[in-house]
Amino acid sequence: MEHTTIVETHSLTKRYGSGVLAVDSVDMSVRRGEVYGFLGPNGAGKTTTLRMLVGLIRPTSGTVTVVGHAPGDPAGLAKIGSLIEGPGFYPYLSGRENLRVVADLVGVSHKRVEEILDLVELGSRAGRKFGTYSTGMKQRVGVAAALLKDPELVILDEPSNGLDPQGMAEMRKLIKDISHSDRTVLISSHLLGEVEQICDRVGVISNGRLVTQSTVQELVGEKGVLVKAQPVEQAEDVLTRMFGHEVVSRQNGSIHLKITPENSIEINRRLTSAGIGVSELRPYERSLEDVFFQLTGEKQGS
Amino acid sequence: MIATIKAEWRKNRFRPAFLVSSGVIAALVAFFYATNWYLALHPAASQRPGGTNILALYPDQFVNNAMGAAYPIGAAIAIVLGALLAGSEYSWGTMKTMLTQRSGRLTTWLGRVVIFEVWMAIVTVVLLAAAAASSLVVAGFQGHAIAWPAMVDLGKGFAAVLLILSVNGALGLALGTLFKNSAAALGVGLTYLLALQIIVVQFIDAVNNGAYKWLGNLFDGQNADALLSTFTSAAFGPSTPASIAPNTAVTVLFIYVAAFLVIAAGLLRQRDVT
Repeated sequence: MEHTTIVETHSLTKRYGSGVLAVDSVDMSVRRGEVYGFLGPNGAGKTTTLRMLVGLIRPTSGTVTVVGHAPGDPAGLAKIGSLIEGPGFYPYLSGRENLRVVADLVGVSHKRVEEILDLVELGSRAGRKFGTYSTGMKQRVGVAAALLKDPELVILDEPSNGLDPQGMAEMRKLIKDISHSDRTVLISSHLLGEVEQICDRVGVISNGRLVTQSTVQELVGEKGVLVKAQPVEQAEDVLTRMFGHEVVSRQNGSIHLKITPENSIEINRRLTSAGIGVSELRPYERSLEDVFFQLTGEKQGS
Repeated sequence: MIATIKAEWRKNRFRPAFLVSSGVIAALVAFFYATNWYLALHPAASQRPGGTNILALYPDQFVNNAMGAAYPIGAAIAIVLGALLAGSEYSWGTMKTMLTQRSGRLTTWLGRVVIFEVWMAIVTVVLLAAAAASSLVVAGFQGHAIAWPAMVDLGKGFAAVLLILSVNGALGLALGTLFKNSAAALGVGLTYLLALQIIVVQFIDAVNNGAYKWLGNLFDGQNADALLSTFTSAAFGPSTPASIAPNTAVTVLFIYVAAFLVIAAGLLRQRDVT
C-alpha cells in the first residue's frame, strides 16, 4: 500500500549555542491519516523536534516538510493544529474568549468555537477565566484550540501531562475521537501505555536521536513463551536442546522462547521429567514499555 | 493582517493592565489639579515663588497642563504597558499559541503594534479628558467663564502626548521582547527613564563646559522635555526656551519609535520561541 507522508524530516538537527545537541540527525516520517506516537524519556528531544515542525525554533541543519510546506510557513500553519508544551492562553480571559482570539486569528466563525467547546466537553465551563481552570480543563482548551481550524495534522505534545487517571482516560478518548480517517495525529508522550493504546506507528527518540520508527506491532515483535523454572540453568539447557540457541534467551531470571504457545505441554513434560520445578509457563508478548527501555537504555522501575 | 488586529484587539480590549493604567493616569491628573488648586488658593502653602496661578487651571489651559502628566509619569506607564504586552506573551506561553496559528511572525508583530498604538491613543484621550474635566470643575467652583483651547492646539497636544507615550511604549515592547519577560523589561525600562538617562545626560552636559551637549540632546527624554515645553502660556509664568527645536524633537522621537519597533521585530523574527 502506497503511503503519502505529511511530515518528513531529513537529518534534522538542533544544536543550541551552549553546544548542547538537543536533536541529532532525525529522519522522521509521519504518514497521512495515521496516529503517530513520538516516544522518548524527558529531555530526549521530543518537544524540540515538535517546535521545529511548527516553526517556533529553527533547525541548525537538516530539512523539514510539514503538510507540504516549510515549518512556520503561514500556508502550512493553516493546516496544522498544535498544542506544544502545555496550553498557553490569557489567564484573564475566559476559555471561550481565548478560543475566540484563536478563531479570529485563523479566520473561523465563533459558531465553530461553540462546536469545539462541545466536542471537548467544556461548554458549560467555558465562561470561567482560563486562570481558574484545572490542569485538565486547560489541556482541553489547548486541544480545542488545536482543532478549531479543522486541521489536516494535529500535533499534541504530552497532552496527558498533569492529568489524573480519569483525565488521562478522557484525553485518550478525545484523541481517538479526533483521529478520523483523513486526519493525522502526531502525539508525543512518555506514557507508553497511552501510546500503545492509540497509536498506529511510533518513533522512539533518545538523547536527540531517533532510535527506531515502525508500527507498534513490529516494534513489540513476535509473540513467544515465558518459562520460570528452578534451577534455571538446567531448564535453559533442556530448552536449548529442544529448540536451539537462537530461540532461547534468559531475561531477569526467566526464559523467553521465540515459539508458539502450542509447544507448552511438551515443554512442561520435558522439564518436569528432568526434575526441574516449573513455577510459570505462559504465552508472552513484549510490551511497548519493554521495547522502550531496551531502545533508550533507560532502567525499568528507576 | 486584519485577522491579527482583530485577535489582538479581542485579547487586549479588556486587559486589566490597560484599564488600570487609564484609571491611574486619570486619577493622577485629577490629583495634580486638586493640589494645584489648593496651592493657588493658599499661596502661603506653596514653595513656588509667587504661588500657583489659578489661571493656569482653567479650561483654556488644560492642554498645557496635561503635558505635565505625559512625561515622565505617562512615559513610565507606557513603558510598563509595553513591557507587559510583550513580556507576558512569553511567560504565559501565548507567544507560541499565536505564532502557530496562521499569521507570520511579522504580521503578528504588526497587529500587536497597531493595537498597542490604539491603547496609547486611548490613554492619551483619557489623560486629556481628565485634564479637561478637572479644569471644568475648577472653573465651575471659581465661577470663571468657560473657554476651551483652539482645536489646533488640542490636536497638537494630543499628537505630542501620543508621540511621547509611543516612544516609551515602544521601548517597553522592545525590552519585553528582548528579555522574553515582563519584570526584567519594566525594571530596566523604568531605571533608564527615571535614573540612568538623567544621570548620563547630566554627565555629558558637564563635560568640557557643555561641549558635548549635542550628544545629550539625542536622548529621547531631552527631546520629550523640549517638545512638551512648547506647550505653555503667560499663565504659567516665564519659561526657559528649550535647547532643542520642536521640529527636531519630533523627528528624533519618531526615529526612536521606529528604531525600537524595528529592533523588537527583528528579535521576534530571528529568535527561537522556546
